[in-house]
Amino acid sequence: MRSLPRFEQLALKHLEAAYNLAFWLVRSRPDAEDVVQDAYLRALRGFQNFHGDDMRPWLLAIVRHTAYRWLNNRRRAGNVISLEEAYEAAAIRSPGEVADSEPNAEARLIGAAEQHYVVRALGELPPAFREVLVLREIEGLSYRDIADVTGAPIGTVMSRLARGRRDLRQALTQLLAKDEPNAL
Amino acid sequence: MHCERARELLSPYLDEALAAHDRSLLTAHLASCQDCTKFAVDLRRLTRTLAAVGRQATPPSLLPRLRRALADAQPPVSGPPVRPPHRPRPPARTMPWRALPVLAAAAVTAVATWWLLSLAEPEARLQHDVLAAHMRALLQENPTQVASGDTHWVKPWFSGRVDFSPSVTDLSAEGFPLLGARLDYIGDRRVGVLVYRRRQHTIDVFVWPNPDGKDRAQRVVVRKGYTLVTWTRQGLTYWAISDLDADELKTFQRLL
Repeated sequence: MRSLPRFEQLALKHLEAAYNLAFWLVRSRPDAEDVVQDAYLRALRGFQNFHGDDMRPWLLAIVRHTAYRWLNNRRRAGNVISLEEAYEAAAIRSPGEVADSEPNAEARLIGAAEQHYVVRALGELPPAFREVLVLREIEGLSYRDIADVTGAPIGTVMSRLARGRRDLRQALTQLLAKDEPNAL
Repeated sequence: MHCERARELLSPYLDEALAAHDRSLLTAHLASCQDCTKFAVDLRRLTRTLAAVGRQATPPSLLPRLRRALADAQPPVSGPPVRPPHRPRPPARTMPWRALPVLAAAAVTAVATWWLLSLAEPEARLQHDVLAAHMRALLQENPTQVASGDTHWVKPWFSGRVDFSPSVTDLSAEGFPLLGARLDYIGDRRVGVLVYRRRQHTIDVFVWPNPDGKDRAQRVVVRKGYTLVTWTRQGLTYWAISDLDADELKTFQRLL
Protein backbone atom coordinates (compact mmCIF):
# COMPACT_ATOMS: atom_id res chain seq x y z
CA MET A 1 0.00 0.00 0.00
CA ARG A 2 1.26 3.45 -0.89
CA SER A 3 1.01 5.14 2.44
CA LEU A 4 3.07 7.23 4.79
CA PRO A 5 4.08 4.25 6.96
CA ARG A 6 5.18 2.39 3.84
CA PHE A 7 7.14 5.41 2.66
CA GLU A 8 8.80 5.81 6.04
CA GLN A 9 9.67 2.14 6.15
CA LEU A 10 11.42 2.35 2.78
CA ALA A 11 12.89 5.83 2.96
CA LEU A 12 14.05 6.38 6.52
CA LYS A 13 16.62 3.62 6.42
CA HIS A 14 18.49 5.66 3.81
CA LEU A 15 18.56 8.74 6.01
CA GLU A 16 22.30 8.45 6.67
CA ALA A 17 23.07 8.13 2.97
CA ALA A 18 20.78 11.07 2.19
CA TYR A 19 22.32 13.26 4.85
CA ASN A 20 25.85 12.39 3.77
CA LEU A 21 25.19 13.31 0.14
CA ALA A 22 23.41 16.52 1.14
CA PHE A 23 26.27 17.46 3.41
CA TRP A 24 28.88 16.94 0.73
CA LEU A 25 26.92 19.02 -1.76
CA VAL A 26 26.01 21.98 0.46
CA ARG A 27 28.89 21.55 2.94
CA SER A 28 27.14 22.79 6.03
CA ARG A 29 25.42 20.71 8.67
CA PRO A 30 22.33 22.86 9.27
CA ASP A 31 21.85 23.37 5.53
CA ALA A 32 22.20 19.66 4.86
CA GLU A 33 19.45 18.99 7.42
CA ASP A 34 17.14 21.43 5.65
CA VAL A 35 17.93 19.89 2.27
CA VAL A 36 17.21 16.39 3.58
CA GLN A 37 13.88 17.45 5.04
CA ASP A 38 12.88 19.19 1.83
CA ALA A 39 13.97 16.17 -0.23
CA TYR A 40 12.02 13.71 1.92
CA LEU A 41 8.87 15.80 1.59
CA ARG A 42 9.34 15.90 -2.18
CA ALA A 43 9.97 12.16 -2.22
CA LEU A 44 6.77 11.56 -0.28
CA ARG A 45 4.81 13.65 -2.78
CA GLY A 46 6.34 11.71 -5.66
CA PHE A 47 6.16 8.34 -3.95
CA GLN A 48 3.70 6.89 -6.48
CA ASN A 49 6.41 7.35 -9.12
CA PHE A 50 8.77 5.06 -7.31
CA HIS A 51 8.83 1.47 -8.55
CA GLY A 52 11.37 -1.15 -7.68
CA ASP A 53 13.13 -2.70 -4.75
CA ASP A 54 15.97 -0.36 -3.95
CA MET A 55 14.89 3.11 -3.03
CA ARG A 56 18.36 4.49 -2.41
CA PRO A 57 19.23 5.70 -5.96
CA TRP A 58 15.77 7.21 -6.43
CA LEU A 59 15.89 8.99 -3.10
CA LEU A 60 19.48 10.18 -3.57
CA ALA A 61 18.55 11.62 -6.97
CA ILE A 62 15.89 13.73 -5.20
CA VAL A 63 18.34 14.75 -2.47
CA ARG A 64 20.85 15.76 -5.12
CA HIS A 65 18.31 17.75 -7.09
CA THR A 66 17.13 19.50 -3.93
CA ALA A 67 20.70 20.29 -2.90
CA TYR A 68 21.50 21.88 -6.26
CA ARG A 69 18.34 23.98 -6.19
CA TRP A 70 19.27 25.03 -2.72
CA LEU A 71 22.83 25.92 -3.78
CA ASN A 72 21.47 28.02 -6.63
CA ASN A 73 19.23 29.95 -4.26
CA ARG A 74 22.10 30.47 -1.89
CA ARG A 75 24.32 31.72 -4.68
CA ARG A 76 21.63 34.09 -5.85
CA ALA A 77 21.26 35.40 -2.32
CA GLY A 78 25.00 35.99 -2.25
CA ASN A 79 25.12 34.14 1.01
CA VAL A 80 27.98 31.82 0.24
CA ILE A 81 29.65 30.40 3.28
CA SER A 82 33.34 29.82 3.26
CA LEU A 83 34.93 26.41 3.14
CA GLU A 84 36.51 27.06 6.52
CA GLU A 85 33.07 27.56 8.05
CA ALA A 86 31.90 24.39 6.42
CA TYR A 87 34.77 22.44 7.91
CA GLU A 88 34.16 23.97 11.27
CA ALA A 89 30.51 23.02 11.06
CA ALA A 90 31.51 19.53 10.05
CA ALA A 91 33.67 19.29 13.15
CA ILE A 92 36.31 17.56 11.15
CA ARG A 93 39.15 17.01 13.50
CA SER A 94 42.51 18.38 12.66
CA PRO A 95 45.41 16.03 13.24
CA GLY A 96 46.62 17.96 16.30
CA GLU A 97 43.42 17.18 18.18
CA VAL A 98 44.00 13.49 18.46
CA ALA A 99 44.57 12.75 22.11
CA ASP A 100 48.16 11.75 22.63
CA SER A 101 47.48 10.02 25.93
CA GLU A 102 45.94 7.04 24.14
CA PRO A 103 47.97 4.00 23.20
CA ASN A 104 48.92 3.77 19.55
CA ALA A 105 48.32 7.48 19.25
CA GLU A 106 50.91 7.62 16.52
CA ALA A 107 49.16 5.03 14.36
CA ARG A 108 45.87 6.81 14.81
CA LEU A 109 47.48 10.16 14.07
CA ILE A 110 48.56 9.00 10.64
CA GLY A 111 45.08 7.72 9.87
CA ALA A 112 43.39 10.84 11.20
CA ALA A 113 45.79 13.19 9.41
CA GLU A 114 45.30 11.44 6.13
CA GLN A 115 41.53 11.44 6.50
CA HIS A 116 41.59 15.12 7.43
CA TYR A 117 43.46 16.08 4.29
CA VAL A 118 41.43 13.86 2.01
CA VAL A 119 38.23 15.39 3.37
CA ARG A 120 39.57 18.89 2.76
CA ALA A 121 40.75 18.05 -0.74
CA LEU A 122 37.42 16.43 -1.61
CA GLY A 123 35.56 19.51 -0.36
CA GLU A 124 37.52 21.67 -2.79
CA LEU A 125 36.72 19.63 -5.91
CA PRO A 126 33.97 20.92 -8.21
CA PRO A 127 30.58 19.40 -7.27
CA ALA A 128 30.30 17.26 -10.42
CA PHE A 129 33.43 15.35 -9.39
CA ARG A 130 32.81 15.55 -5.66
CA GLU A 131 29.40 13.89 -5.98
CA VAL A 132 30.55 10.91 -8.04
CA LEU A 133 33.41 10.33 -5.58
CA VAL A 134 31.04 10.48 -2.60
CA LEU A 135 28.57 8.11 -4.28
CA ARG A 136 31.26 5.66 -5.34
CA GLU A 137 33.82 5.74 -2.52
CA ILE A 138 31.62 6.44 0.49
CA GLU A 139 28.23 5.04 -0.57
CA GLY A 140 29.72 2.22 -2.66
CA LEU A 141 27.12 2.66 -5.42
CA SER A 142 27.55 0.89 -8.77
CA TYR A 143 28.21 2.91 -11.94
CA ARG A 144 24.63 2.17 -12.98
CA ASP A 145 23.22 3.57 -9.72
CA ILE A 146 25.47 6.63 -9.88
CA ALA A 147 24.21 7.25 -13.41
CA ASP A 148 20.64 7.05 -12.10
CA VAL A 149 21.34 9.43 -9.22
CA THR A 150 23.17 12.03 -11.30
CA GLY A 151 21.15 11.65 -14.50
CA ALA A 152 24.37 11.27 -16.50
CA PRO A 153 25.22 8.43 -18.92
CA ILE A 154 27.45 5.67 -17.54
CA GLY A 155 30.33 6.74 -19.77
CA THR A 156 30.19 10.21 -18.25
CA VAL A 157 30.11 8.73 -14.75
CA MET A 158 33.24 6.73 -15.55
CA SER A 159 35.16 9.66 -16.95
CA ARG A 160 34.11 11.93 -14.08
CA LEU A 161 35.25 9.32 -11.59
CA ALA A 162 38.59 8.95 -13.36
CA ARG A 163 39.12 12.69 -13.44
CA GLY A 164 37.77 13.16 -9.92
CA ARG A 165 40.24 10.64 -8.54
CA ARG A 166 43.11 12.18 -10.49
CA ASP A 167 42.22 15.69 -9.32
CA LEU A 168 41.71 14.55 -5.74
CA ARG A 169 45.18 13.03 -5.73
CA GLN A 170 46.56 16.24 -7.21
CA ALA A 171 44.73 18.46 -4.70
CA LEU A 172 45.90 16.27 -1.83
CA THR A 173 49.50 16.52 -2.95
CA GLN A 174 49.23 20.30 -3.11
CA LEU A 175 47.53 20.56 0.28
CA LEU A 176 50.23 18.46 1.87
CA ALA A 177 53.03 20.42 0.24
CA LYS A 178 51.48 23.71 1.38
CA ASP A 179 50.37 22.76 4.87
CA GLU A 180 52.70 20.25 6.32
CA PRO A 181 55.51 19.04 4.14
CA ASN A 182 56.21 16.22 6.60
CA ALA A 183 52.63 15.22 7.44
CA LEU A 184 52.53 11.85 5.80
CA MET B 1 49.80 2.39 -24.19
CA HIS B 2 50.34 6.02 -23.27
CA CYS B 3 50.39 7.00 -19.60
CA GLU B 4 47.46 9.35 -20.07
CA ARG B 5 45.26 6.56 -21.43
CA ALA B 6 46.48 4.19 -18.73
CA ARG B 7 45.46 6.65 -16.03
CA GLU B 8 41.97 6.95 -17.48
CA LEU B 9 41.62 3.18 -17.41
CA LEU B 10 42.98 2.84 -13.88
CA SER B 11 39.82 4.20 -12.32
CA PRO B 12 37.46 1.55 -13.79
CA TYR B 13 40.24 -1.02 -13.29
CA LEU B 14 40.21 -0.36 -9.54
CA ASP B 15 36.42 -0.66 -9.56
CA GLU B 16 36.73 -3.98 -11.40
CA ALA B 17 34.70 -2.51 -14.23
CA LEU B 18 37.27 -2.84 -16.99
CA ALA B 19 36.79 -5.24 -19.92
CA ALA B 20 39.31 -8.07 -20.16
CA HIS B 21 41.05 -6.67 -23.23
CA ASP B 22 41.72 -3.23 -21.70
CA ARG B 23 42.67 -4.87 -18.44
CA SER B 24 45.47 -6.89 -20.00
CA LEU B 25 46.76 -3.87 -21.91
CA LEU B 26 46.73 -1.84 -18.72
CA THR B 27 48.48 -4.44 -16.56
CA ALA B 28 51.15 -4.78 -19.25
CA HIS B 29 51.67 -1.01 -19.12
CA LEU B 30 51.79 -0.98 -15.31
CA ALA B 31 54.44 -3.67 -15.33
CA SER B 32 56.72 -1.38 -17.32
CA CYS B 33 55.80 2.08 -15.94
CA GLN B 34 56.76 3.01 -12.39
CA ASP B 35 54.98 6.36 -12.45
CA CYS B 36 51.64 4.83 -13.37
CA THR B 37 52.13 2.11 -10.78
CA LYS B 38 52.68 4.81 -8.15
CA PHE B 39 49.54 6.52 -9.46
CA ALA B 40 47.59 3.27 -9.08
CA VAL B 41 48.85 2.78 -5.52
CA ASP B 42 47.85 6.35 -4.66
CA LEU B 43 44.35 5.89 -6.10
CA ARG B 44 43.82 2.69 -4.17
CA ARG B 45 44.96 4.42 -1.02
CA LEU B 46 42.54 7.29 -1.68
CA THR B 47 39.72 4.80 -2.05
CA ARG B 48 40.59 3.18 1.26
CA THR B 49 40.94 6.51 3.04
CA LEU B 50 37.57 7.75 1.77
CA ALA B 51 35.95 4.49 2.84
CA ALA B 52 37.51 5.01 6.28
CA VAL B 53 36.21 8.59 6.43
CA GLY B 54 32.76 7.13 5.82
CA ARG B 55 29.51 9.01 5.98
CA GLN B 56 29.17 12.23 7.87
CA ALA B 57 27.33 11.50 11.11
CA THR B 58 23.63 12.24 10.87
CA PRO B 59 22.57 14.59 13.68
CA PRO B 60 20.35 12.62 16.11
CA SER B 61 17.69 15.34 15.98
CA LEU B 62 17.13 14.89 12.24
CA LEU B 63 15.11 11.65 12.40
CA PRO B 64 12.43 12.91 14.85
CA ARG B 65 12.30 16.20 12.94
CA LEU B 66 11.78 14.38 9.67
CA ARG B 67 9.05 12.20 11.09
CA ARG B 68 7.20 15.26 12.34
CA ALA B 69 7.54 16.98 8.97
CA LEU B 70 6.31 13.90 7.10
CA ALA B 71 3.36 13.42 9.45
CA ASP B 72 2.41 17.08 8.97
CA ALA B 73 2.65 16.84 5.18
CA GLN B 74 -0.47 16.12 3.17
CA PRO B 75 -0.66 12.48 2.12
CA PRO B 76 -0.25 11.91 -1.61
CA VAL B 77 -3.46 12.87 -3.41
CA SER B 78 -2.86 11.21 -6.77
CA GLY B 79 -3.95 7.75 -7.83
CA PRO B 80 -6.89 6.29 -9.75
CA PRO B 81 -10.04 8.43 -9.58
CA VAL B 82 -12.04 5.57 -8.07
CA ARG B 83 -10.07 5.94 -4.88
CA PRO B 84 -12.02 7.39 -2.00
CA PRO B 85 -10.88 10.86 -0.99
CA HIS B 86 -7.88 10.75 1.26
CA ARG B 87 -8.33 12.36 4.60
CA PRO B 88 -5.36 13.22 6.75
CA ARG B 89 -5.26 10.74 9.56
CA PRO B 90 -4.58 11.78 13.12
CA PRO B 91 -0.90 11.27 13.92
CA ALA B 92 -1.48 8.39 16.32
CA ARG B 93 -3.02 6.34 13.54
CA THR B 94 -0.21 6.88 11.10
CA MET B 95 2.08 4.82 13.30
CA PRO B 96 1.62 1.08 12.90
CA TRP B 97 3.45 -1.48 14.98
CA ARG B 98 6.21 -1.89 12.51
CA ALA B 99 7.19 1.74 13.04
CA LEU B 100 7.80 1.05 16.73
CA PRO B 101 11.54 0.43 16.46
CA VAL B 102 11.93 3.74 14.66
CA LEU B 103 9.81 5.50 17.26
CA ALA B 104 11.76 3.82 20.01
CA ALA B 105 14.94 5.00 18.34
CA ALA B 106 13.65 8.55 18.23
CA ALA B 107 12.53 8.43 21.83
CA VAL B 108 15.74 6.83 23.02
CA THR B 109 17.81 9.33 21.07
CA ALA B 110 15.91 12.20 22.62
CA VAL B 111 16.27 10.81 26.12
CA ALA B 112 19.89 9.91 25.53
CA THR B 113 20.63 13.40 24.26
CA TRP B 114 19.17 14.76 27.43
CA TRP B 115 21.51 12.55 29.47
CA LEU B 116 24.38 13.77 27.40
CA LEU B 117 23.55 17.36 28.22
CA SER B 118 22.77 16.84 31.87
CA LEU B 119 25.43 14.31 32.75
CA ALA B 120 28.81 15.07 31.36
CA GLU B 121 30.38 12.02 32.96
CA PRO B 122 32.14 9.76 30.48
CA GLU B 123 30.25 6.60 31.48
CA ALA B 124 26.87 8.12 30.69
CA ARG B 125 28.24 9.39 27.42
CA LEU B 126 29.53 5.97 26.49
CA GLN B 127 26.18 4.39 27.32
CA HIS B 128 24.51 7.02 25.20
CA ASP B 129 26.87 6.46 22.30
CA VAL B 130 26.53 2.68 22.43
CA LEU B 131 22.76 2.89 22.62
CA ALA B 132 22.55 5.42 19.78
CA ALA B 133 24.91 3.40 17.59
CA HIS B 134 22.88 0.24 18.23
CA MET B 135 19.64 2.03 17.33
CA ARG B 136 21.16 3.45 14.17
CA ALA B 137 22.32 0.00 13.16
CA LEU B 138 18.82 -1.40 13.71
CA LEU B 139 17.50 1.22 11.29
CA GLN B 140 19.89 0.08 8.60
CA GLU B 141 19.00 -2.50 6.04
CA ASN B 142 22.07 -4.46 7.04
CA PRO B 143 23.83 -4.07 10.39
CA THR B 144 27.10 -5.53 9.08
CA GLN B 145 29.82 -4.37 6.68
CA VAL B 146 31.21 -7.87 6.48
CA ALA B 147 28.49 -10.53 6.64
CA SER B 148 29.94 -13.85 7.66
CA GLY B 149 29.55 -16.39 10.43
CA ASP B 150 33.12 -17.55 9.90
CA THR B 151 35.35 -16.25 12.69
CA HIS B 152 38.42 -16.74 10.49
CA TRP B 153 36.88 -14.39 8.00
CA VAL B 154 35.57 -11.78 10.41
CA LYS B 155 38.63 -11.44 12.66
CA PRO B 156 41.11 -10.64 9.84
CA TRP B 157 38.57 -8.19 8.41
CA PHE B 158 39.37 -5.88 11.33
CA SER B 159 43.09 -5.74 10.63
CA GLY B 160 43.96 -2.49 8.90
CA ARG B 161 40.56 -1.07 9.84
CA VAL B 162 41.16 -0.76 13.57
CA ASP B 163 44.42 -0.78 15.50
CA PHE B 164 43.55 -3.76 17.70
CA SER B 165 42.32 -7.28 17.21
CA PRO B 166 39.10 -8.23 18.99
CA SER B 167 38.52 -11.85 19.89
CA VAL B 168 35.82 -13.34 17.68
CA THR B 169 34.13 -16.48 18.99
CA ASP B 170 31.81 -18.84 17.15
CA LEU B 171 28.77 -19.32 19.39
CA SER B 172 26.38 -20.80 16.85
CA ALA B 173 26.27 -24.11 18.76
CA GLU B 174 25.10 -22.18 21.83
CA GLY B 175 22.33 -20.45 19.85
CA PHE B 176 24.13 -17.17 19.21
CA PRO B 177 25.10 -17.27 15.51
CA LEU B 178 27.60 -14.66 14.34
CA LEU B 179 26.16 -12.41 11.60
CA GLY B 180 29.28 -10.41 10.87
CA ALA B 181 30.96 -7.17 11.85
CA ARG B 182 31.13 -3.48 11.13
CA LEU B 183 32.96 -0.37 12.27
CA ASP B 184 31.41 2.38 14.32
CA TYR B 185 32.41 5.53 16.12
CA ILE B 186 32.09 5.70 19.91
CA GLY B 187 33.63 8.14 22.38
CA ASP B 188 35.72 9.91 19.73
CA ARG B 189 37.32 6.78 18.41
CA ARG B 190 36.77 4.16 15.79
CA VAL B 191 35.57 0.90 17.31
CA GLY B 192 34.84 -2.61 16.12
CA VAL B 193 31.35 -4.11 16.33
CA LEU B 194 30.58 -7.83 16.27
CA VAL B 195 27.01 -8.64 15.39
CA TYR B 196 25.38 -11.77 16.79
CA ARG B 197 21.79 -12.98 16.74
CA ARG B 198 19.66 -14.72 19.34
CA ARG B 199 16.39 -15.84 17.78
CA GLN B 200 15.05 -12.59 16.32
CA HIS B 201 17.16 -10.35 18.57
CA THR B 202 20.26 -8.60 17.32
CA ILE B 203 23.21 -8.34 19.68
CA ASP B 204 25.87 -5.72 18.99
CA VAL B 205 29.20 -6.13 20.74
CA PHE B 206 31.26 -2.94 20.64
CA VAL B 207 34.95 -3.33 21.35
CA TRP B 208 37.88 -0.97 21.71
CA PRO B 209 41.20 -0.85 23.58
CA ASN B 210 41.09 0.21 27.21
CA PRO B 211 43.70 2.88 27.96
CA ASP B 212 44.48 1.77 31.54
CA GLY B 213 44.69 -1.91 30.60
CA LYS B 214 42.98 -3.19 33.80
CA ASP B 215 40.51 -6.07 33.53
CA ARG B 216 37.01 -5.37 34.82
CA ALA B 217 34.26 -7.79 35.72
CA GLN B 218 30.90 -7.93 33.98
CA ARG B 219 28.52 -5.06 34.76
CA VAL B 220 24.91 -4.81 33.63
CA VAL B 221 22.97 -1.62 32.90
CA VAL B 222 19.41 -1.41 31.64
CA ARG B 223 18.45 1.64 29.60
CA LYS B 224 15.01 2.12 28.12
CA GLY B 225 14.36 -1.59 27.78
CA TYR B 226 17.78 -2.31 26.31
CA THR B 227 20.28 -4.35 28.25
CA LEU B 228 23.91 -3.28 28.18
CA VAL B 229 26.67 -5.50 29.53
CA THR B 230 30.21 -4.17 29.77
CA TRP B 231 33.50 -5.80 30.74
CA THR B 232 37.20 -5.37 30.12
CA ARG B 233 39.45 -8.28 29.26
CA GLN B 234 43.01 -8.41 28.02
CA GLY B 235 43.17 -4.68 27.43
CA LEU B 236 39.92 -4.51 25.45
CA THR B 237 36.68 -2.98 26.67
CA TYR B 238 33.48 -4.64 25.46
CA TRP B 239 29.92 -3.34 25.45
CA ALA B 240 27.23 -5.82 24.46
CA ILE B 241 23.77 -4.40 23.83
CA SER B 242 20.49 -6.02 22.89
CA ASP B 243 16.80 -6.11 23.71
CA LEU B 244 17.32 -9.58 25.19
CA ASP B 245 16.73 -9.85 28.92
CA ALA B 246 19.66 -9.36 31.24
CA ASP B 247 20.07 -13.06 32.08
CA GLU B 248 20.38 -14.16 28.47
CA LEU B 249 22.82 -11.38 27.66
CA LYS B 250 24.89 -12.28 30.74
CA THR B 251 24.99 -15.90 29.53
CA PHE B 252 26.14 -14.66 26.14
CA GLN B 253 28.88 -12.60 27.76
CA ARG B 254 30.19 -15.58 29.72
CA LEU B 255 30.37 -17.66 26.53
CA LEU B 256 32.16 -14.97 24.58
